[in-house]
Amino acid sequence: MRKMFALLSLLVLASMVLAACGGAPTDAPAQPDQPAATDAPAVATDAPVVDAGPQTLRVDLNVYPDLIDPQKSSFVNEIATLKMIYMGLTTFNEKLETIPGSAESWTYNDDATQVVFTLKSGLVYSDGSALNAKRFEYAFQRNIDPATAGEYSSITDEILGAPEWRAADTAAEGYDPATFTAALGVKASHADGSDCADYEDTACDTFTLTFSKPAPYFATIAGIWVGYPAKQENIEEGGELWWNSSKFQIGNGPFIMDVVEPFVRQHFVPNPNFAGAGIPTYDLEYRYITDTAVSFEAYKNGELDIIESAAEDLATIEADPNLNAQHLQYAGSCTLLIKFGLEGVYTDPAGNSYDSPFKDKKVREAFAFSFDAVGWAKDVDGGLSLATWTWIPPGFPGYSADSPLSFDPARAQQALADSSYGGPDGLNALGLKLTFGDTPRNRQRSEWLVAKYKEHLGVDIALDPIDSTTFTAITKDPKTFPLLARQGWCADYPDPQNWLSVYWRSDTSFAQRQGYVNLEFDALTAQADVELDPVKRADLYNQAQQLLLADIPSAFGYNNLNHYLVQPWVKGLTPTPQDADWSGSVTPWTITVDAH
Amino acid sequence: MTTTQPATTNRIAELNDVFRPSRSLGQEAWSRLIRNKASVVGMIIISFFIILAAFASVIAPENPLKINDGMRFLPPPFYKGSTNTQPDQRFLLGTDSLGRDVLSRVIYGARVSMVVGFIPTAIILMLGTVIGMISGYVGGRLDNVLMRLTDVIYAFPDLLFFIIVMVALRDSFLGRLMNGLILLFAALAIVNWVSVARLVRGQVLSLKQKEFVEAARCIGVKDARIMFRHILPNSLGPLIVSAAFSVPGLIITEAILGYLGIGLRPSTDSTAFFITSWGALMLDGQSAINGQPFLLLAPAICVALVVLAFTFLGDGLRDALDPRMRGTQ
Amino acid sequence: MTTYLIRRLFWLIPVLLTVSAVTFIIMRSAPGSPWDTDADRRQVDALTQKSLEAYYGLDKPMWRQFVGYVIGDWNSQTDKFVCGLVCGNLGPSYRQRGRSVQDILFAAPENQTFWQSRFGYSVRLGLSALVFAIFIGIPIGIIAALKQNTITDYIALFFATSGISVPSFVLAIFLIIIFGSWLHWVDIIVDDWTQVKYWLMPTLVLGFGTMAFTARLTRSAMLEVLRQDYIRTARAKGLAERVVVLRHMLKNALIPVITILGPALAGLVTGSFIIETMFSFPGMGRAYVQSIGQRDYSMIMGTTVVYALLVAVANLSVDVIYVFIDPRIRLEE
Repeated sequence: MRKMFALLSLLVLASMVLAACGGAPTDAPAQPDQPAATDAPAVATDAPVVDAGPQTLRVDLNVYPDLIDPQKSSFVNEIATLKMIYMGLTTFNEKLETIPGSAESWTYNDDATQVVFTLKSGLVYSDGSALNAKRFEYAFQRNIDPATAGEYSSITDEILGAPEWRAADTAAEGYDPATFTAALGVKASHADGSDCADYEDTACDTFTLTFSKPAPYFATIAGIWVGYPAKQENIEEGGELWWNSSKFQIGNGPFIMDVVEPFVRQHFVPNPNFAGAGIPTYDLEYRYITDTAVSFEAYKNGELDIIESAAEDLATIEADPNLNAQHLQYAGSCTLLIKFGLEGVYTDPAGNSYDSPFKDKKVREAFAFSFDAVGWAKDVDGGLSLATWTWIPPGFPGYSADSPLSFDPARAQQALADSSYGGPDGLNALGLKLTFGDTPRNRQRSEWLVAKYKEHLGVDIALDPIDSTTFTAITKDPKTFPLLARQGWCADYPDPQNWLSVYWRSDTSFAQRQGYVNLEFDALTAQADVELDPVKRADLYNQAQQLLLADIPSAFGYNNLNHYLVQPWVKGLTPTPQDADWSGSVTPWTITVDAH
Repeated sequence: MTTTQPATTNRIAELNDVFRPSRSLGQEAWSRLIRNKASVVGMIIISFFIILAAFASVIAPENPLKINDGMRFLPPPFYKGSTNTQPDQRFLLGTDSLGRDVLSRVIYGARVSMVVGFIPTAIILMLGTVIGMISGYVGGRLDNVLMRLTDVIYAFPDLLFFIIVMVALRDSFLGRLMNGLILLFAALAIVNWVSVARLVRGQVLSLKQKEFVEAARCIGVKDARIMFRHILPNSLGPLIVSAAFSVPGLIITEAILGYLGIGLRPSTDSTAFFITSWGALMLDGQSAINGQPFLLLAPAICVALVVLAFTFLGDGLRDALDPRMRGTQ
Repeated sequence: MTTYLIRRLFWLIPVLLTVSAVTFIIMRSAPGSPWDTDADRRQVDALTQKSLEAYYGLDKPMWRQFVGYVIGDWNSQTDKFVCGLVCGNLGPSYRQRGRSVQDILFAAPENQTFWQSRFGYSVRLGLSALVFAIFIGIPIGIIAALKQNTITDYIALFFATSGISVPSFVLAIFLIIIFGSWLHWVDIIVDDWTQVKYWLMPTLVLGFGTMAFTARLTRSAMLEVLRQDYIRTARAKGLAERVVVLRHMLKNALIPVITILGPALAGLVTGSFIIETMFSFPGMGRAYVQSIGQRDYSMIMGTTVVYALLVAVANLSVDVIYVFIDPRIRLEE
């Protein structure tokens, strides 16, 4: 018996070894009597035996990106990688102001229908090859090209000829992209206006964008990831899969991506050719640990340097003075509201359809003033959100704390009584529903909300949980837009235009989905959009925001918080509201990592 | 006329009574079952949870739906955890993410687990038995077709089928009936009837050749009657055992589906009978493991206990109903 | 015998077809498109969505899409014929643009071997869990059977049964906390999966249930065999207990265990996604569950077909092995 056990346990061990051994790199046969490659194979890790060289900043990003392509990506984890490898024409500082990036300056013409960027001299990629304006021309063209079908391709629609090209039928006879690129308002040239020769032409340092209507905010858009200068020859050589290889992702950003282990990690080293504000002094490593409990354990174990803290662990963090000191909490880049569906098709329990009660401003007032945003932040989100009664979040250009809205249940009840329904009973007969994507977090939020509306207004609201992807689908169509839904907006780029004109103007898809129309607001924002004087512009947008709030398009609201745990040996971090991926990611060169 | 003859026969009759009391198969099986201590423990545990489920509204100390503001993730009074939050004596197992009493929610959660264990099992038994019997008895092409159908269903990885079905059909009419319970039952039944059908078919095939069946057919008993009155009772043993093992499997499946977020939808309607499930509670508790581990531990322990109980019971039933053990102790 | 095998293999085709069809119908009946993203961010606009749908052939009628997936169709943009499932093409991924499903599942990453593909990882994990289950489960079952109704039996049974009662994710998180945070025996997050020590916990958690099941199965099989006359004969002959156990009992008792090996492996490989999520293991299961939520149609279809193939082959193996092992059993047909 004893011998059998010994044999068996040996076999179990052997099987584990075999299992791990199956992954030995292709040069394993050189070591025939070593049962397992327990020392790091040449490709994978960067943990050398002798700890020479820079420290590594290890960041957890939860989910591995599906696609890392500047003109096709749209998710936070995808952009997190792109931001490190590339830099656009402009970039952002810690106040989220637009500052020079690859371009050292830019000037608008008189009516802001054209902007001319002048690139910094001597720009090179991380591999030393030249980076000129023609690269940016390619990037913008690629974003607009319907063959690319990028998810953010519509964000450059102000460019002359862009919507026409995107709507072209590529399968039609005689379709020729060249006709569209010729008519496109995207042009790289020499300083005197003459054409550039090729990608090696170092005199090619002028980049001109022409718009179909005035767009003085476009320098901000020019800095986001859709304008990142990926190399055309790399994309063509790598084919559809070029983005999955560190060989082809050569960029001009603060880091060079040197190791890609799909679904496990990505590793970056500083780019000595970076032309930005500073070159980082550490290596960067992205890990993708999905389970928050596991990443928290790993953080406490010292295996990760920056992680997003989970709401459930807040009490544990606050109880531990060390962890509490390492916990950063600051406003994020999203504002979330309880939205009122206005143009949808709604039916009551008896099957009769009715118009949205929220068309009555008094009903909107009732629901808005009975939303206890502070209570929400404390009880539902456990302190991980910030109550707000205004639209643009703190830290963003255009923020203003003024608002006619507040939490006032008495006023809400009065408003409901004054409305065309005369009180809660009229509404209850309609069978109101709160629709949400079915996740545990959303369940808790919705249950709380429904209970509170009952308490403060006496209104019965049924829960309507649906699959999250389905939720997104029905909110895209005004006919199916839910009567009540928690929804919000996270800015694409830090400019009031993106918050106000892009989201609430009645000709935009977002407002149309909800069915919101406010002509006065439309006029104000249209005026602000083309205003060149920054002071007047800011004032116009501010007026527009106050107008919007007074019209109560939804119940306000809360901002999400960026909440991260950062190890004490990570110093110099500059947090910004746009840190949706990790804290300090907008200006990574300010960070230093001490030995630990 | 002597009296010795009747006396002797009486004494022999008495001897028979002592040494071989006549009992039905059921009674014998029951006494064997009771002798198995583990089965008895199992039965007690199961009854306990059934009582919990049925009388939850009376037993639960707090309202499972009441959201207590500012009392999120309170630890139980007996647990000194890693947080500084003061526990509240009312909440014996602490509170969840909205301040609701965990103990009460676990008690109410027993309802779903019990129901999800028994009802689909009943459906599976009925469906599988009928199809298995028809397939085995009739034979021929019908048998062939049905067996190929079971091949197809067998080939489908169970959990993946559930996930696909639940994700795709949750928002349909079927998926909204009873918070998604009907859809869950349907999915569970569709996948699991196959093994029962095969089991019954095997039994039928082996019994079909026996003499008593042939005799019945000679007398002119109709086929259906033969199937249900003669063959089925003889295959009850393995069926009962299979049922006893099916229940815990279903309970665990519900827990996993709930953990993945696609099981029963928790309700906030105080008039609803099914409020939450152990799977949903475990999903809640999964990420709170540092501050309030009992949100995960309590339902997990309950699941483990119920499954253990059913497994012991199943073991005991199998030993008790095994005809070869008859007469042995 | 060979004709039976060939016939069963041919039956795999309609089985897989039906599986694909069912998956296809169910998935397409769910609302939402592969490009719907988080509701609080900018959505794909209508023009781009149209281009994407044309590229992936989503604008064609349903039946044509299904036939195209299985057999092949002409891509409307490039006008080239693209072969489908019958050529081993599992379709293009909708989310990981540019990659095909077979590439995602089976292709080895940069400078690595096939066994580091997602499929390779899942299979390796399943294999090691199976080995663990067998080499721990069988001895436990044997001991329990030999010492039936003693305290050893009860302990072994309890241990084995608890293995199937505790949900795997609960076990996983507690093991991580105990061995990672408290004892510091293992790193919580894995640097590289070529080191054996990182495989121990996922293998343990994944294989625990199968180990319990194997132990119980072995035990009851041994008990069956124990009662047989030929064992009594062997003992009466005066053979040493060990010889009796090894030569006579094991062979016959292991028959049921060997027959479940195939389905057990299939079950482990297809059921590993929770473990993969907990341990951030780069396997197939995690990608599969993610793709369902994302509506990545080809990924769902392709992975389901792969899983179904595994399960079908495993089930077939049961019948085949039975014939080889037990000469008394005649195949039906």
